[in-house]
Amino acid sequence: MPAIRTERLRKTYGSVRALDGLDLTVESGTVFGYLGPNGAGKTTTIRLLTGLARPTGGRAWVAGVEIAANRRELAHHIGYLPEEPAFYPWMTPAEFLDHVGRAFGLTAGERAARTQELLELTGLAGVRKRRIRGFSRGMRQRLGIAQALVNRPEVLLLDEPVSALDPGGRKEVLELIERLRETCTLFMSTHILADVERICDAVGILADGKLIVEARREDLIAQYAAPVFEIEGENDHAAEIQAWAETLRARPWVSGVSVSGPGVRVVVADVEVAKRELLAAAATAGLPLTRYEMVKPSLEDVFLRLVEKGGR
Amino acid sequence: MGFFVALRKELLEQWRSYRLLVVVIVFTVFGLLSPLIARFMVEFFKLLPNGEQIAQIIPPPTVADAITQYLKNLSQSGVILALLLTMGAVAQEKDKGTAAMMLVKPLARGAFLGAKFAALSLTFALSIVLAGAGAYYYTLLLFQPLPLGGWLALNGLLLLFILVYVAVTLLCSTIARSPVVAAGLAVALVALLGAVGALPGVGEYLPGRLLTWGAAVAGGGAGTGWPAAGVSLGIVVTALVGAWLLFERQEL
Amino acid sequence: MQSIQQWLPFLIPIIVLQLALMIFALIDLARRERTRGPKWLWVVIIVLGELIGPILYFVIGQEEE
Repeated sequence: MPAIRTERLRKTYGSVRALDGLDLTVESGTVFGYLGPNGAGKTTTIRLLTGLARPTGGRAWVAGVEIAANRRELAHHIGYLPEEPAFYPWMTPAEFLDHVGRAFGLTAGERAARTQELLELTGLAGVRKRRIRGFSRGMRQRLGIAQALVNRPEVLLLDEPVSALDPGGRKEVLELIERLRETCTLFMSTHILADVERICDAVGILADGKLIVEARREDLIAQYAAPVFEIEGENDHAAEIQAWAETLRARPWVSGVSVSGPGVRVVVADVEVAKRELLAAAATAGLPLTRYEMVKPSLEDVFLRLVEKGGR
Repeated sequence: MGFFVALRKELLEQWRSYRLLVVVIVFTVFGLLSPLIARFMVEFFKLLPNGEQIAQIIPPPTVADAITQYLKNLSQSGVILALLLTMGAVAQEKDKGTAAMMLVKPLARGAFLGAKFAALSLTFALSIVLAGAGAYYYTLLLFQPLPLGGWLALNGLLLLFILVYVAVTLLCSTIARSPVVAAGLAVALVALLGAVGALPGVGEYLPGRLLTWGAAVAGGGAGTGWPAAGVSLGIVVTALVGAWLLFERQEL
Repeated sequence: MQSIQQWLPFLIPIIVLQLALMIFALIDLARRERTRGPKWLWVVIIVLGELIGPILYFVIGQEEE
């Protein structure tokens, strides 16, 4: 059973199509990175999956429970961290977790144990008696994760969990999320590719309310990122290098060439042939090279390519 | 389900935010002050230039004046506090996002809303008990003992009167997205209620009638206000059910 | 003058209650890092505003986060 499945899920606000027929499957036990530019519909998706918003059309299941059909039942299976978690500022973190535990109907013993466990997990045990009022963003984010875990959810939905944090806070929260991968399925929306590259197993890319790609991270890079070779020569031989680069265009294993000064970027259609022939071709031409490198494509390259294509 | 979980939080919040204390103190102050003002109104005038003449025109104060002062002061401050304390109840939780945080848990929206009304009712009930006891004691010292049964009935009617405003403001707070809008809506509704009450013959059936009825009961006068009590209760129930139905359908 | 002495004992509990509310408001104000509007202004409002001052402070003066 997939952790999350949606079928032509739609949500419109007036005439705005926030989500336009989303078909998504997230397998159990994965860390799923839900990528997309701002306004693509990431938050809308998460709000629908938590039951906070109602779909205009389509269906969805989270942890086997159909959303909208049974909000209360759904609540027992999920944990949710909104982009800006809000708390009762007059409570202490321990009191807030206790309150959440009560909402889940836990006994006093269970609540005490779970609160202690979560405060330790999120590094808030030292401030358990301080009012939330004075908490920093990073502390609030960690408390937000703690409150989402009280019921040991099967699926944890995180909306931009690290976007608002400084580098230090971001590292802490990402490490915390990584520690959770053993315990539940993680669905994390973000517009920051580096975070996805770091912790996600699978990626979905959303643009304009539609899913434009869904794949395992490695597959995505292998499939969509055209490999690039970068060659650079001596500065005073720039004209010579450029002339040589033009001749490359005719080769069948080259799909594109771009030149800037003494540097050449060669986009290849067949990597294996290119690995054998490109350097040989340069050597035959007798060029004074200073650098030859096959560049590993980043998720960012893929993302930009796909979003640009999807936007057109 | 979850009602007592939510109620516990609401009561704790009333306590921590000093709101319970504010209502208790304001009501008790007015409870004590009202018989005092009624008793010494004439003395006030004597302090003014030419006050002696004015004082002679005013009839000597009676226990009925004490009752009138009590009802006037407590209903006015009650309405103001009902609006101030209730306007943000739901709107602020929606605005800040705490409603969304808590309502993705298995906490029923009806319990969330009902607990807010229950907590505010308890706050006002406790405050009226203290104010009523204080006013009873001061009236006893300054005038004469009041009939206990009538006094209790008056305070019960006063509580119902205030709860009408709590319930209506809670509905406004559910409709609105922010506390300020909720307050504006509630003030408009209160003004509307006042305007309607000014029409001849209609006032009989509105919450305001509860106060004159209370004065009659406590002062040993005649006249009842059962229709007004029915209407008031109806407004409370309608506002709460309306707020609940609306809240169930809202996206947070 | 005689009349003032007559009601003074009755006024004492009322004054004590008012002072208590004022002190609670000032304590909360002192503990709070931020308020809506400058702190000194709230001190003035709470002290001079009789009952209304502390009420205004508790209802609109407190700024969270």
